[in-house]
Amino acid sequence: MNAFAKTLRTPKNARRLLITVAVGLLVLLMLYKVVYPIVFDAYVGQSNAPLTYADSQPITEDELEAMATELSLSARRAAAEAIVGQDENAFARRVKVEMLMNTQSFMREHEPTHIKYFRDANILQYEGPKTCLQCHATIKVRHHDGRTSEVDTLDDIVNSVHFKFQSDAGGGFSTYGYDGRQVNAEGSRPIPVGKINRACGIPGSFSWTGWAALVESRPESTQGEVELRSEGCGQCHIGGNYQPATEKMMPIGDVPDVAKEGIDCLICHSTEYDMNQRYVIRDHVGLRWNQDRTMRAAITVGRATTKNCLNCHQHNMGGDAYLHNEAAQALGEQNRRLLHTGAKRGNPFSPQDDVHAAAGLQCTDCHVPEGHKIPRGRMGVDLVANDLPDVEVSCVTCHSAAPHNRSEHKALLNGHLDRIACETCHIRELQDNNVVLRDWVHPTWDAEEGIFTPTDIYRSGAVNKGFTFLWFNGNGTFLANALGNNPNGSTQYDPLMQQLARIEDPEIVAAVREQAIALKKTYPDIDVDAYVEAATDPLSQLAPEQLEERRRMLDENLRVHMNDGKSRIYPFKLFNAMMYEDMGNQGPFGAMILPFDYTTYYETGDTAASVKQAIRDPIVQRMYQEPFKLYMMDEFMAYFGVSGGWKTQYPLVDGKLENVEPKWMRQMGSLMVNHGIQPVGRDCVECHSPSGILDYRALGYSQERAAELENLDIVENLRLSATDGGESASRAGQILEITPAGARDIGSTAWDSH
Amino acid sequence: MPTLAYRHPETGEIVDLSIDRDGLAHSVHGELACIDCHRRSYRRYPHPDRPAPGDLDCIGCHEDDDRNLSRGWVDIDAEFKRSVHAVSDSPKAAGFSCHSCHDPHRFRPAAVGEPIAQIVRNHNGVCLSCHGSLSAASSTSHRWLPNRDAHWGSVRCVDCHTPAADFANHEVLPAEKSEKNCVSCHSADPQLLARLYRFQSEEDIARHGLFAKAVFNEAYVVGMSKSPALDRLSLAIMGLMVLLLAAHGLGRYLARRANRMA
Repeated sequence: MNAFAKTLRTPKNARRLLITVAVGLLVLLMLYKVVYPIVFDAYVGQSNAPLTYADSQPITEDELEAMATELSLSARRAAAEAIVGQDENAFARRVKVEMLMNTQSFMREHEPTHIKYFRDANILQYEGPKTCLQCHATIKVRHHDGRTSEVDTLDDIVNSVHFKFQSDAGGGFSTYGYDGRQVNAEGSRPIPVGKINRACGIPGSFSWTGWAALVESRPESTQGEVELRSEGCGQCHIGGNYQPATEKMMPIGDVPDVAKEGIDCLICHSTEYDMNQRYVIRDHVGLRWNQDRTMRAAITVGRATTKNCLNCHQHNMGGDAYLHNEAAQALGEQNRRLLHTGAKRGNPFSPQDDVHAAAGLQCTDCHVPEGHKIPRGRMGVDLVANDLPDVEVSCVTCHSAAPHNRSEHKALLNGHLDRIACETCHIRELQDNNVVLRDWVHPTWDAEEGIFTPTDIYRSGAVNKGFTFLWFNGNGTFLANALGNNPNGSTQYDPLMQQLARIEDPEIVAAVREQAIALKKTYPDIDVDAYVEAATDPLSQLAPEQLEERRRMLDENLRVHMNDGKSRIYPFKLFNAMMYEDMGNQGPFGAMILPFDYTTYYETGDTAASVKQAIRDPIVQRMYQEPFKLYMMDEFMAYFGVSGGWKTQYPLVDGKLENVEPKWMRQMGSLMVNHGIQPVGRDCVECHSPSGILDYRALGYSQERAAELENLDIVENLRLSATDGGESASRAGQILEITPAGARDIGSTAWDSH
Repeated sequence: MPTLAYRHPETGEIVDLSIDRDGLAHSVHGELACIDCHRRSYRRYPHPDRPAPGDLDCIGCHEDDDRNLSRGWVDIDAEFKRSVHAVSDSPKAAGFSCHSCHDPHRFRPAAVGEPIAQIVRNHNGVCLSCHGSLSAASSTSHRWLPNRDAHWGSVRCVDCHTPAADFANHEVLPAEKSEKNCVSCHSADPQLLARLYRFQSEEDIARHGLFAKAVFNEAYVVGMSKSPALDRLSLAIMGLMVLLLAAHGLGRYLARRANRMA
């Protein structure tokens, strides 16, 4: 050994060793940088190419000046009008606006900042991230704990949820698999989670297969003339590439530089971003989403405002078809985007329907960004990626623990906070088009749009119809079911067998039956009774032994996580869907959902053909192969409540779907609703009456306590005084003044007599 | 409900109205139903601004049950009425009542046998909840008192700030009338024994002598915890020492004189 070391130490040999190591490293680097991406792309069926955008055109200096003048004027006028908006006399207002428009300091203050920068740097063409990074190569980030750091901007955005729609290991909420394990907990084998691979109630959420599609629609109005329409996940995601950032699912490797050039900085940062530029384009490589890369958009960049966020996010709040969804007014100058008429949550963020939006709050006031990472809060049930899982986003951050100040019953109202989340009273209803039950398997022809669309067999924004109330401690299951329990430790509260697994409201059942009868006209095979049963009692689709296994897993695996921490009653939007499932990978909570191919679906309405087309996608085929099984699908299935690992039986054999059945998910999903906040909350009697909106017994209260809560003397007294005084119940009575805590009151005013 | 609170319209501070369930359960009033004390005011909601007359009146309830106490509730009431808290015309003392010091939802009298240090801490906590600035690090209060912090840690405020003679704990004296005589405590017949140390078990109180007092009483009080035998012994040793020194001096003097003479 010694001799060997000695020979090594001779200068000549040492030099040789050094060279060998260096060459080795170089080869590895080459393999990683050049060979790996090629192999990976080929494996998952990806393509990359330099991206060009037709609207990224150079302008002349004169054009820049003209644009600068126009944009400054319009920005200044908007600001001036906002300031003198209160003045009643129209003429006086006009004069004041004109005065402000010509005030030097006002002019300086309201000129878009980048006009000067672009002029000085002689930037006459916007070429995507490249242009921005010239100055913003790094940014300073202030973290929630007060730290500051300097990060590489491109790196920061590429590794954010907005670009890759998944979060790093250990991220996400406190999501628990039906096997009782926390998803991606420390010590477990992390799998990528997020929208990229989420199997949720909206097929096509496999963003791999539903990234960008061009659909030939045949709207009534054009008499059979084909109109191309755009559809796909990419419309709301900032990567402008031909597919989502699949590379980021792997522990090594990075998105190719050409794909990073497709990042759309302006959709979040420009006040003049034109959503009409957001449509699917086809080039020699494939389909991808166009974006606004005009100088006009570039010159008006700044911090992301509510308007920017809502370019995409009204989709999952108010919904595409929401009256005040501005982005939906600009569907594309060609290949117009298809609107989803059913709302995902139906709780809009707009001045018309949300008190915070009306107060002019920006999204980022509550969701305070750290660089390009934006917090969603620590609670959530929807297995969507979360960049900053430890950062709080909650009402009390601003409103304190005693938020009610106006009402005479403020103390009593504040007292409720221990059990009741703010949203429970302050979101009174969701939008009418909030989808509760959606049948993807039996689509309906939409004559106006000229496409087949999934049939929403039940939509409602009403309380206990479109949404209900559940105990929630911040934990959720792998399929978006809120976890929590009555603080009394009840074993009666059983949402996954009750509230989320059964629809008993006769009105809803009747509505579903009506829809089933209507569907039967197009699909004669439908057995109306069986259809209604499966839709309103999805557990009826389980065999007795599966039900028993479900019961056991709930008791043994989930009960403990329901009892974690502090639960409060929150409103949850309910959702279920009938989709094709791969029955080879089935458990007591559902089976692997198969995606649809948008084009086939919308154009032909042949849902089976649409599934076949979607699962022919190379990446879905890879999913059914051993490496993917070992890398993530086994773990995925374990969380899904399917024992025995992922079965790689590919469900498409000789062009036929095998072991694939249309099914309703075995329970409804529950989505948190936090926007659409109303300034005035619910009245006492809405909950505290025998026909109140809270089913206290189902929420785990004892019979006696439930009876008490339904017939509170206090509420009776309030009603009396309300009728006596002719005031509304919530305003009757007197201000609660203290006596029992008088000691503490005096104690808090420190004084000394010495 | 722990969140029962409101924001004071003038100060903006959150006023907490909630009652700590555990605290109440362990308090002397733990067995009572809310309505037992809040008889009239809380029968209906909304509650009135001020308690109805007769509600929340300690003496009203406690008048009859003096039997177990060394002094009657009427005496306590009389003591309180003489106290600086009651007679002061400072606006800060306005509305001072039993509840200002004794939170009825937490109050629990010190029990015989409880560690003295804990009793001192609890009792002084009540005073310091208003007079907190006295014990601040920069405070110059009680500067005259040797070993100030040691005193604060081992005697109750009321041990000096109430009249020594009649154990009237509720007759809190103004600063100038409070006890400043060290010997009141630091003597063979200390008032402290009768007051703070009455929480010691009978057995402990009955003990005499240095060892018993210093060890079993958890405190050595200079001047109080003394042993007469030891005192006499040390006096004898000191006398002997003086004699010895005198004899030595005398010897030296005599020897020197003899030398000079020689």
